[in-house]
Amino acid sequence: MADFTFSRLAVRLAFGVLLTTAATGCDLLEFSPNDTRAPASERDLTRKNLTALAQRPVPTGGDTLRFVFTSDSQRYYDDVPPLVASINQQRGLAMVLVGGDISDFGLAREMRWVNDEFKKLNVPYFTVVGNHDLAQNGREAYQRIFGPLNYTFTYAGTRFILVNTNGREYEFNGHVPDVPWLQQQLADTVGVRRQVVMAHVPPEDGDFDAAVTPAYTSTLEQAPRLVLHLTGHNDKFSVRQPVPERVTYISGYSVAQRNYLLLTLWGRHQYKLETISY
Amino acid sequence: MKPYRIRRMRHTATLLAGLLLGGWSATAQSTDAPTPRPWYVPDHAVLQTGGGIGMLTTGAGYSPSRHPHRFDADVLVGYVPARYTGHRAFAIFTAKATYSPFSVQLAERWRLLPLSVGGLVNYTPAAQINRNSADKYGYRGYYWWTTTLRAGAFLGSRVALSLPRATGGKREVSLYYELGTNDLYLVSYLPNRSGLSLGQILTLGVGAKVDL
Repeated sequence: MADFTFSRLAVRLAFGVLLTTAATGCDLLEFSPNDTRAPASERDLTRKNLTALAQRPVPTGGDTLRFVFTSDSQRYYDDVPPLVASINQQRGLAMVLVGGDISDFGLAREMRWVNDEFKKLNVPYFTVVGNHDLAQNGREAYQRIFGPLNYTFTYAGTRFILVNTNGREYEFNGHVPDVPWLQQQLADTVGVRRQVVMAHVPPEDGDFDAAVTPAYTSTLEQAPRLVLHLTGHNDKFSVRQPVPERVTYISGYSVAQRNYLLLTLWGRHQYKLETISY
Repeated sequence: MKPYRIRRMRHTATLLAGLLLGGWSATAQSTDAPTPRPWYVPDHAVLQTGGGIGMLTTGAGYSPSRHPHRFDADVLVGYVPARYTGHRAFAIFTAKATYSPFSVQLAERWRLLPLSVGGLVNYTPAAQINRNSADKYGYRGYYWWTTTLRAGAFLGSRVALSLPRATGGKREVSLYYELGTNDLYLVSYLPNRSGLSLGQILTLGVGAKVDL
């Protein structure tokens, strides 16, 4: 009987090793760098992170919400593990927002390399698509690995709206960013105390569709609950508030700059901004 | 699919089949003193999966010196179905060179080529691969790489079985694997050798070659 059990264990072990080898082999067996294949655990990451977030009570409790904003991890893989280690030391953190350009070449493997590190975060993370994520076959790869290019979610009374602003990637066709969609999301304020918009290309940038800029910025300025507009793309930290008492535009640090922003929101429009070096 | 594309594909298939059959018939006609084959008849046919050049990849090649080692120059066409591209199927055209400097006789008809080194360039003419047109980010030196042309390098091994031909002489049937990478993975890895491991940039290709 003992022999039987042992042999069954051995068979199971051998089978396990075989399966692992086969899975690794299948993963290595790349059809094209532009293919969008990924194991199930590395697909639909946005949806999975949203599920994880929904199950987490607000760590700071009460009205306060704290999150990290980082951006442009593109091809700076050496800088990502220290970033993750530093973020994991922050207390009361609800989530991490990544302002796009996760990849450099728009390849699925690059997005998976970054996720290999970001999945070690103690909190869920959410990305918005960057222009580099749309290079090559990136539009398909991003949607497969992460999810929608425009999406929204509400947590701790705060509505996060993540919008694709990479107009140049669409030959400035007048539809990116999707302003009607943005207006709809900003207008839906049921159970929402405040709003945060995150995009990759800032509206004043040359890679933003200039034909859409006026409609986009006036939509933002007319949203009374919008507190912050976060962008990446140009690796230049800046904070500006063109209209008093309205939205604050924050351009964040790239991963390679070895800084990230720690944001704490409370009340209707109050926020605290800290720069953390790592 | 538009009719003209189907016609074009059929035409390509006929051409390929003709080329392969041409190779077979040319060898079938050879006698004990083999008549030299026309230069354009390939020396071997290839079937491969993976390696970044297709899910199903086929083609033909030349081996100027066969024994004791081999140098193979192959031309391949690969196919990646739409379910793995997110949109439309890819065709990938590849030119590939492989050199195997050592040969170990394993048994009477079996030999091992323990090391193969090679390089390839491939072209993926897919509209969905966003091209780096100058009107995009050219002004910033952005997108400095080509999107549809890739270069790659690989190391591998090969095991070959020698079979007698009905007309005399021998033909080799071989199986091979290749572990490789491409230019974009390499430029990702080189400046990030602590953030990325070599294993993360590797691709695997597995294939068979049959001497014609």
